[in-house]
Amino acid sequence: MDIFEVENLSYKLGNFKLDNVNFKVNQGEYFVLLGQSGSGKTLLLESIAGFNSVEGKINFEGRDISELSPEHRDVGFVYQDFALFSNLNVRENIMFSGKYKHVENPEETLHDLADFLGLVPLLERDIDNLSGGERQRVAIARALFSKPKILLLDEPLSAIDPTFRNSIMKFLKDIHRKYNLTTIHVTHNFREASYLADRIAIVMNGQIKQIGPAAEVLNNPANIEVAKFLGFKNILPSSMINDIEDRLFSVDPNAIHVGKYKIDCDYVFGGTLEECMGIVDHYKIFVNVDGQQFFAKILKRDYQGCYADRGESIYIGFDKKDVCYL
Amino acid sequence: MKRNIFLYLMIVLASVVLLFLSVPLLNMIFGNDLMLLLDTLKQKDVVGSIYLTMKVSLWAMIFVLITGLPLAYIIARYNFFGRSFIEALIDIPIMIPHTAAGIALLMVFGRGAVSEAFESVGITFVDTEMGIMVAMMFLSSTFLINGAKEGFKKVDVKLEKVARTLGANPFQVFIRISIPNARKDIINGALMMWGRGLGEFGAVIMLAYHPMVAPVLIYDRFTSYGLSHSAPVAAIMIIISIFIFLSVRFVNNRLK
Repeated sequence: MDIFEVENLSYKLGNFKLDNVNFKVNQGEYFVLLGQSGSGKTLLLESIAGFNSVEGKINFEGRDISELSPEHRDVGFVYQDFALFSNLNVRENIMFSGKYKHVENPEETLHDLADFLGLVPLLERDIDNLSGGERQRVAIARALFSKPKILLLDEPLSAIDPTFRNSIMKFLKDIHRKYNLTTIHVTHNFREASYLADRIAIVMNGQIKQIGPAAEVLNNPANIEVAKFLGFKNILPSSMINDIEDRLFSVDPNAIHVGKYKIDCDYVFGGTLEECMGIVDHYKIFVNVDGQQFFAKILKRDYQGCYADRGESIYIGFDKKDVCYL
Repeated sequence: MKRNIFLYLMIVLASVVLLFLSVPLLNMIFGNDLMLLLDTLKQKDVVGSIYLTMKVSLWAMIFVLITGLPLAYIIARYNFFGRSFIEALIDIPIMIPHTAAGIALLMVFGRGAVSEAFESVGITFVDTEMGIMVAMMFLSSTFLINGAKEGFKKVDVKLEKVARTLGANPFQVFIRISIPNARKDIINGALMMWGRGLGEFGAVIMLAYHPMVAPVLIYDRFTSYGLSHSAPVAAIMIIISIFIFLSVRFVNNRLK
């Protein structure tokens, strides 16, 4: 059941415009808005929270909340840099909403959250004396303490040390499940999105370009723009693989086989080796086939070397199952 | 070696200005006979004048805290037509001669429609504490407003946004988040304003020679009785001001 719906939302800020945005989020869903920096995803999240006067509707449990001020929307917001109140300590930060909203059993809620988020020893500490991960947990606890009906996360992993990102992603998922939250998470990182999201919306230039279940969006980009953003390589005309339709296809560099001699694959091409770069654990191989460049990745554990010298003939091949039409 | 020459040169030049600033003050404090200072402190008109100066400049500061903080916040947070003009208007009082400011204030609060309107509710400005307060405020509010403006600019707007999602309305956010997080700059600005108010003479004398604030008393004693009678009052004023300033700064720096 969808509880949240953005309908024809538009908002202009200087030269930038959120343009006719539409999407729905289901109860208990982890929904990710995925887009590059400057695509408008944070502006969209802030518009949902009520910081901007937008055109269009924002429906929540069947009620239009687009005219409501942020304090009446029942949303929890966690910013990229966490925006903790440095004039208050950890406990005061978490319990901030208790002064303005009715929170049932505030002490019990605090202890439940602090316990789950590992904040019990930090409750009396100053904000300035927290690490990045601790700050994030405080920001999440503060948002959850107000018992929001929807949790809005703006790039919550960007300020976190990459070493801890995986464990924090798991942690976000755990929070989502434990508190049965409906979450909208904004990110530019499609790996983060692929792990966390039930569904993904791709945001580009203030518009939603594609929306659907995570696996579908990440594996079947709707157009070349989305494909490039998602990191798809080898975007080439489908005429190369005998497709009669005038469209493009993409093939994962890891799925391309390379050999000095003809290979046993559904599609095989002979070409010229343009470049071979040895990177830590793999080779990046660029092959020119009739003026089109293929890019393949070969793991060093599978083969040591570049199969040929620059300018020499080489074969590449891949199977039908690895082709993605755009 | 080259670096050392540069550093020594900087220290020598810095010492010149430091000496220039500190010698007159130290001479005033330590150049007076201690017994004479204590005797001066027993004089009722001196104590009354210092108390009046402190009190009125404090009231002026509190008035500008109430009215100037919203102005500083609006300038810091919003882009609007005329913002530069308002910022210039706030800065102008510290650029014009204080006696000229006093004349301007006298024209408004000493006569004419504004003066009469206040008079109808029992408030007069010529030779009253209210007149002193107006003069102090006009010439020193710039420090508080500009200090607060810089303080509010440093408060990340995201803090205020998050506070709204947590149920606080804009006024509650202003009181609970914006002001406390800009507190250091606000207190420093308020101190500067108060300090400037304590020393205000040119404009005050135009509106209210009496009751005498400390700077007017110092001037009055100097012209009537000479340096020996005015210097102890000046020294006491300087000592009290330095003590209060250092105390507030210390507490402010200790605050979380």
